[in-house]
Amino acid sequence: MDSASLSRRTLLHAIAAAMATAALPFGWADIAQAVQDMRSAAPAGGSTLTFLSAADAADVEAIAAQIIPSDDSPGAREAGVVYFIDRALATFFTQLGADYRAQLTAFQQAFRERHPSAASFAAAASDQQIAYLNIVDRTPFFNTTRVLTLLGMFTRPTYGGNRDGVGWKLIGFEDAHVFQPPFGYYDRDYPGFVVDQLHSK
Amino acid sequence: MTGQTFKESETVDFVVVGSGAAGGVVARELARGGLTVVVLEQGPRFSLRNFRHDELQDWYLGGITNDVVKNPQTFRDDETKKAELQTFKPALWYGRAVGGASLHYTANFWRFHAIDFNERSVLGPIAGTGFADWPISYADLEPYYTKVEWEIGVSGLAGASPFDPPRTRPYPMPPLPVKSSGVLFERGARKLGLHPIPAPMAINSQTYNGRSGCVHCGFCHGFACEVGAKASTLTTVIPEAEKTGRCEVRPDSYASRIDTNTDGRATGVAYFDRDRRERFQRARAVVVCANGAETPRLLLMSASSRFPHGLANSSGLVGKYLMFNYSGRATGVFEHELNEYKSVQVTRILHDFYDSDPKRGYYGGGGLDARMGPQPTTWAIRTDIDQPSWGSAYKARLKEFPRSMQAATHSTSLALASNNVTLDPELKDAWGLPAIRVTYKDHPDDLATVRFLQDRAAEILDAAGALKVTQGPVAPQTSSVHLLGTCRMGNDPATSVVDKYHRSHDVPNLFLCDGSSLVTSGRGQPTMTIQALAFRAGEHIAQFARRGDI
Repeated sequence: MDSASLSRRTLLHAIAAAMATAALPFGWADIAQAVQDMRSAAPAGGSTLTFLSAADAADVEAIAAQIIPSDDSPGAREAGVVYFIDRALATFFTQLGADYRAQLTAFQQAFRERHPSAASFAAAASDQQIAYLNIVDRTPFFNTTRVLTLLGMFTRPTYGGNRDGVGWKLIGFEDAHVFQPPFGYYDRDYPGFVVDQLHSK
Repeated sequence: MTGQTFKESETVDFVVVGSGAAGGVVARELARGGLTVVVLEQGPRFSLRNFRHDELQDWYLGGITNDVVKNPQTFRDDETKKAELQTFKPALWYGRAVGGASLHYTANFWRFHAIDFNERSVLGPIAGTGFADWPISYADLEPYYTKVEWEIGVSGLAGASPFDPPRTRPYPMPPLPVKSSGVLFERGARKLGLHPIPAPMAINSQTYNGRSGCVHCGFCHGFACEVGAKASTLTTVIPEAEKTGRCEVRPDSYASRIDTNTDGRATGVAYFDRDRRERFQRARAVVVCANGAETPRLLLMSASSRFPHGLANSSGLVGKYLMFNYSGRATGVFEHELNEYKSVQVTRILHDFYDSDPKRGYYGGGGLDARMGPQPTTWAIRTDIDQPSWGSAYKARLKEFPRSMQAATHSTSLALASNNVTLDPELKDAWGLPAIRVTYKDHPDDLATVRFLQDRAAEILDAAGALKVTQGPVAPQTSSVHLLGTCRMGNDPATSVVDKYHRSHDVPNLFLCDGSSLVTSGRGQPTMTIQALAFRAGEHIAQFARRGDI
């Protein structure tokens, strides 16, 4: 199993645990509908928070910004990842909410115990943040935050993250419906396939 | 398109359960054979305009597949353990819509080789496994492979591979345009003395049978084609079945039980409609094409006093011998842009390591291909061995996206009785039916084969001039989209579930045809073979029906 599966499993484990207690199963198609509803109610690109408090959002954004830092090119912060995460927890990952909030609180508390002088994770110096994340980057909370961050960085901007397509620009992905060959550098001057006569029957 | 509808009180000739790669083909063959058919599909019916480039919806929210909430499954790697609820993606992942997994497959359409059908005789037994020959040979299936290529639509180049089994016709369409990954793979492989060839794909390289040629949008793997260039049963055989006026496809119809009478014959299929009302469709015979997960489940759910261990299960093999194949990878980063996110996944393949080689010290073989990785989000989430997964170094790696490609590996899975589909004793789905419980652990030979093939893949990328080569982790699998072997075919009712015409040994008017019929796993890319089996089954079952032998 690759690390992605591990992360995803962790992420959704919490969702399903919450869902198991729901009276009616809530399918992904219904979740997608909820996203649609959410989209029309609150257009992507806003900076209002629905699920996270301002302080919690600052910490989640600080973690996301260490996962994909802002340097000479935009990172998770510029992509609006925290607003994607907030919206996800309020809509299509709503059942994850309670567990995620509890894990976040535990993360914050453990950080304060280690760094009593820091006002919050978000307020700590970057190297202090990195050192701490290196300790906890195998935890379910970090893995969940990582997957949510990457979903917010690279999925369609209509879901609230990947603002102005900064995620796609970062990695050089072009969202188009039709392409023509040549597609890249190496297929430009391809002479055509020649059957290897020596080895063919 | 709607057209013909049947009343439930009416006894149709056939109920076909499932409208995917196999069900669509069987339905068309029966309807064209003059028989009346009702197809029950548990998922909805989409039209092309419903399909989008949307990774969140189709990879992470189950847009066109079974989902872990309504159709929960449990998984364990050992029969002595309690199986755990799978909460992110199903252990057994399949298309849940008219068209089934033929909507979202990658459309790699190589044929199995002759050795796949008689490997047990050639190599001898393998202790502790259900390794066996098929009751049919490659020669038996060849006409139907050709039928798939011409009637479903496959692009490729006949005669390119020295390893290809004999064929009676060329491909109906030339190969798709090569991508940079294909050029590099071909270059590296030839340097090593290997034999790369243009990939056979069930994607139109030009307009074919009224369907568009590929527009190279790049969203094949895990997505449904927006222009219909990728051949799904939704856009090929299903409309053709409906055109006969003898076939009704009923979406949102979730089969829950096959009923039998006192003679031990199937009388029809109970199902839930979209409002979760229980319905029953009477039929002279039933063909289950519900995939390697749902077909055994439906048989196990159809247990009765006459069939206490499940329908058609006198052998005890319904649900057993589950096989996944294994997809490994090496990733190469090159100096210039490849832009692999454009166009089809695969344009070059290689079968030099297809056969098992006793000199390696373990059983197994496989095919390699040159391909893009997944689209951006999944590419970013996935991490190769020893790669950073966050921070500045990770961000630098993300920027390698357009300069990266994969050499992917596809390989054998041995049939093990301990790998299986059963009914979970506790968990129910949203309809109150027993959930699927999966038990699976790759055989050590299967994992050794993946490591061997990944090393070969890495060598090819290196020979092609990659600046950097990494490999994916190799570990026992916990989920798959290849659902094979769970109602295997064979001549002996004690060691198989269906005969060589897909008729169940125990119930004369019950047929099973899909990935569950496979006796061995092949080397990945099973849909081509599943559809060849379906064309063959459909033809024979129609003959049986016309002569009253159902």
